[in-house]
Amino acid sequence: MSLWVDKHRPKDLMKLDYHKDQATRLKSLVQQSDFPHLLVYGPSGAGKKTRIMCLLRELYGSGAERLRQETMHFTTPSNKKIEIMTVSSNYHIEVNPTDVGIHDRVVIMDLVKNVAQTHQIDSSGQREFKVVILNEVDDLTKDAQHALRRTMEKYVTTCRLILIANSISRVIPAIRSRCLTIRVPAPTEAEITNVLQSVCKKEGLNLPTDLGMRIAKCSDRNLRRALLMCEACKAQQYPFTSDQKVPEPDWQTFIRTTAAMILSEQSPKKLGEVRQKLYELIIHGVPPDMIFAGLLKELVQNCDMVMKCQVASYAAEYEHRMRLGNKAIFHIEAFVAKFMAIYKKYVEESLM
Amino acid sequence: MGDYPDPDEEYELMYADDLDLLREMDDENDTNPVRKNANPAKRSLDFSSPVPAKSLAEKRNNAENNENLNNSLTFSQSVQPLGDILTQESVINAEESTVTSVNTSNKRTAEDLFGDINDIDFDNLELPSKRQKTDEENDMDLINKIIEGRKIRQMLEEPSSKGYIDKKVSFNYKDNLTRIIPRWPFIPFTKWDGDRVYVRLESEESWEDSLDSVTEKLTFQNSYAATWEEARKILAAKNEQKETNVSNEPEQETENDDAMSDLWVERYRPKSYIDLLSEEPVNRALLHWLHLWDKVVFKKDFKTKEPQHRNTFSKRTGQFQLSNTWKGKKEDEPEIDEDGRPHHKVALLCGPPGAGKTTLAHLLARLAGYRPVELNASDERSTEAFQTALQSATLMRSVLDADRRPNCLILDEIDGAPIQTVELLVKWCTATAGKKEDGKKKGKSQPLKRPVIAICNDLYATSLRPLRPVSLIVTVGSISTVRLQARLSLVAKCEKLRIPPRVLMAVAARALGDIRAGLHVLSFFKAKAKAQMDINDIMENTSIGIKDNAKSMMQALQAIFTVNDADPNAILKTIQAAGEYDRLVDGIFENYLTVRSDSRLLIASETMSWLRLYDTINSWTLRQQNYSLYSMLPICIARCHRLLATRQPVKLRFPMQAQEMYRRKTELDSTVWSVWRGSAASVATTRSALRLDILPLLPYLLSPVLRSANVQLCSESERKSLGACAGAMCDYGLQYVQQRTPEGLYAFVLEPDVYKIAFFGNEERARPPPAVRQAIAREQQLEVIRRNDEMMSRMSSRSKSSSQAPKSKPTSNSPAVEEKEMRIPNHLQRLQPKVLQKSVPQVQKDFFGRVVPIAQVQKQDAVSDVISSSSVFYQYREGFNNAVRRNVRMRDLL
Repeated sequence: MSLWVDKHRPKDLMKLDYHKDQATRLKSLVQQSDFPHLLVYGPSGAGKKTRIMCLLRELYGSGAERLRQETMHFTTPSNKKIEIMTVSSNYHIEVNPTDVGIHDRVVIMDLVKNVAQTHQIDSSGQREFKVVILNEVDDLTKDAQHALRRTMEKYVTTCRLILIANSISRVIPAIRSRCLTIRVPAPTEAEITNVLQSVCKKEGLNLPTDLGMRIAKCSDRNLRRALLMCEACKAQQYPFTSDQKVPEPDWQTFIRTTAAMILSEQSPKKLGEVRQKLYELIIHGVPPDMIFAGLLKELVQNCDMVMKCQVASYAAEYEHRMRLGNKAIFHIEAFVAKFMAIYKKYVEESLM
Repeated sequence: MGDYPDPDEEYELMYADDLDLLREMDDENDTNPVRKNANPAKRSLDFSSPVPAKSLAEKRNNAENNENLNNSLTFSQSVQPLGDILTQESVINAEESTVTSVNTSNKRTAEDLFGDINDIDFDNLELPSKRQKTDEENDMDLINKIIEGRKIRQMLEEPSSKGYIDKKVSFNYKDNLTRIIPRWPFIPFTKWDGDRVYVRLESEESWEDSLDSVTEKLTFQNSYAATWEEARKILAAKNEQKETNVSNEPEQETENDDAMSDLWVERYRPKSYIDLLSEEPVNRALLHWLHLWDKVVFKKDFKTKEPQHRNTFSKRTGQFQLSNTWKGKKEDEPEIDEDGRPHHKVALLCGPPGAGKTTLAHLLARLAGYRPVELNASDERSTEAFQTALQSATLMRSVLDADRRPNCLILDEIDGAPIQTVELLVKWCTATAGKKEDGKKKGKSQPLKRPVIAICNDLYATSLRPLRPVSLIVTVGSISTVRLQARLSLVAKCEKLRIPPRVLMAVAARALGDIRAGLHVLSFFKAKAKAQMDINDIMENTSIGIKDNAKSMMQALQAIFTVNDADPNAILKTIQAAGEYDRLVDGIFENYLTVRSDSRLLIASETMSWLRLYDTINSWTLRQQNYSLYSMLPICIARCHRLLATRQPVKLRFPMQAQEMYRRKTELDSTVWSVWRGSAASVATTRSALRLDILPLLPYLLSPVLRSANVQLCSESERKSLGACAGAMCDYGLQYVQQRTPEGLYAFVLEPDVYKIAFFGNEERARPPPAVRQAIAREQQLEVIRRNDEMMSRMSSRSKSSSQAPKSKPTSNSPAVEEKEMRIPNHLQRLQPKVLQKSVPQVQKDFFGRVVPIAQVQKQDAVSDVISSSSVFYQYREGFNNAVRRNVRMRDLL
């Protein structure tokens, strides 16, 4: 735990840096006897996991921090052997069912049953339930989500579920209604700056306010990214100067250069070059919706208001279609081609 | 007279058809002519008939009509009682001399007697016609009149006779003629012998009515329509008869066919050189090659014949043997090697199925004086079986004696043979040439002395790769439609199958140059003809005879990008035949930008919209497992064809991008996966966070700024950053591994390589220099040890009772071991001894003088209980040291 992100992660609910009133509510929630299923959602890097770990510590004490990794094996009805990594303590188990793709239903059913059917070893002083943490619930298949809703009710005496999602729009209402939904909003830039300052202080470093602000701006309100960027800054150059270069994830830069390419020239040849860039992005695992968002953000900066609306609506439509389809590259390139067509027309008209 | 015949002839010409029809109608219907005939008879009695009062033209028309009717009458009668009339005529002739007083006979005898005839009807009728007719016609007329008159006479004499009845059926002669005095108004006629006949006298109106009714029946349209119907019926009947005759014939033959029970393909296999359908240059190339063997096989020189032969064909074959560039280059080189064998030991015939390759090979081999021995896919083609077949076919002499002909081995369908077999063949051909001298010396190996013809469909099959360079490649193209049609018509004629050329053309076109397919369709027709089916119907049914011609993916792609004027709708079929829609779409996607000039990108947007639709439908189909929309997929592709097709030839690339990208993606995905698996439990996050936030920024943290000096000399801050870097690497399960580079040097390589994920092609410059890497690697190993030690102490403090070995220093290079150590402490006990042995030399190297006391201590302890309590055990075999005994912990060494 040498990265700042991990090292300076708050362990206690009351030591959280922001959303303090929410922390208080969570604390009081733990003190009550009826702990509900939770559905924690919020953007990436907002601190969902941190809060959940704090919550577990609040529930079970420091024993919940003794984590171990295990690989569990399951057999699907079609006799396919699948294995999945779990992180667990004596009191909880964390799993990411989407790792096994379409077989996530099997994982959920077996795992939750396993956990729920074994009672706590020393039920005397402890809570009578265990906790199952499921990551990326919004990416679960519909089957898995439906499997979940029954188990949630059936094993409620011995097991609580904490579901983590980025957005609840893809979580079926049946699950939403069975959980207490907790939204963890992304920290504001000011909050991020504060966190950066405090972390640097702990590290014995002196962070200029300007640099802190710039890092916070670059981080897209993602605290994890901000801390990593700050540490990267430190690794590159220390003592800090307020105008030093802030290292960014390379894929963000790449999306920007791609957008610049699109704006520089609108021709089939250029579109072919753009395609290579898009392929690169997809290969590196940048989710296509983020590519869409990134491109749109860059592209609309060069558009007037009417065109902005038009382009945004096209982007929305194409992204929606992309979710229905399989080949993301088709949809992204279609969007780029469409934008090029619109933009070229616009430029030609304005020249005349 | 001179003026008249012309209009008359004209008239006859003009109405020739109609007249024919009328005659035919008469043939059919006896009642009508009778009726018509009766009219003049009637009229003859009618003195007040309006005919004479009419104008000359009218008269003439009437006359002609009547005459025509008369003519037709003669015809009709000539059909029926021809013999009768002849006899009658002879009687008449006989009568001429004897009988004079009979008015009818008078009429018949001579023209000059006409005046004497008191039969007015004749005058009325004949007068106009007589003026116009030539003598011959007059004779004819006269004959007619004679016959008619005869009839009338007959009728008068014997009213109940058949002829009379015939004529008067509609008139009901009994009502009109009688011998006794009737009650109705009449005119009495007295014959020469005194008999009296009473003829009914009709009123003017009733006569007119009857006339009308007749003319009504005779009006042109009416008669025409009726006749037309009749004519059609007759024709149909005739055709039917013919067809039944025809169909009877083949039925017998098809029964014979069944008895013969061979395919038409066999039956109509070309029997001689001129029957061959393949291109002449192809035939000659192969034949020439076969003749090149003559020197070896038949011991006769072929040289004399060769030059001219070669000149004639080498020019032409140049274009047919383009694939064999090697041969093209060495045109001047002798085609025969020093052994007297042709340069190419094997002829490789390739071409589409049904082009006649096998036939060609067999026929030419026979023609060149060989006995073809065929080995095809139905035979076993394992290496051993093949070798025996090869040997028996090419070496055996006994067969030669028996058959008087040497063998020629034909390897059919060689592209389906296993590659080992083909390699064996190649070895056989080439090795014998190489071992030739050995063979002569030892007399062991015998060179290939018989021609081998290999036949394949796909020249570029992987198994044929070794064979191609050593063989003469003869490409047999598919047969042209015209030649195919000619051959099919020939076959059809032989089979007595009546098929219109149009149908044959269609069959040939649909066979797509495949004679076998064409013959099968013909054979099918014949089988169907037996079942009374109309061939035309069959041909209209478009699915019959169409070769299911699977197009390769690239062909389909080419078709998508080219305008097809001949059949714009064929594209859909092509796409469906090609099948692999996903590949096709990838192909379109990779090529659509280059094929058309599209500066405004409108075509691109439109194409992409179709591709998007395709993708959506396809994934919906796969997701739902509902194939109801599956048939829409080729339509999406066909729409792209509409947008993208051009007339210029386009160079298309095979769609590789998508696959390549997929491969690279899985590669990087697996890297992320391994990082994720390897990362410690305390820092475990989701993979997306790892991929998007942590990994892209991790490289910055992994390359601390260090002076290239010994780590011990580093400043405090440098050490700190190095430590942080090592800690991060431990957290995420990364490590530097020494790998041997191709140059033979050892380099530290990060494993798993997060740089590749973090950067887009510019990762190399972000990597730390080798010296730093080495420092990091060392630091990271120490960090691992430190952590394990820490964990061990924590564990031992918790469970002292269990005699667990004190954690020591594992510096294994294998990541798996390390991961396990970090994750599952239980495993450490078993793994430690191995690890420790590695660490010993390191310790010795660093602190040479201090190793010995440790060993000493361990040794003395070990004797009693160290071995049982701990798996760490040092035994120092010899020497003596009385240095201070002291417990040294691993952490003291670090």
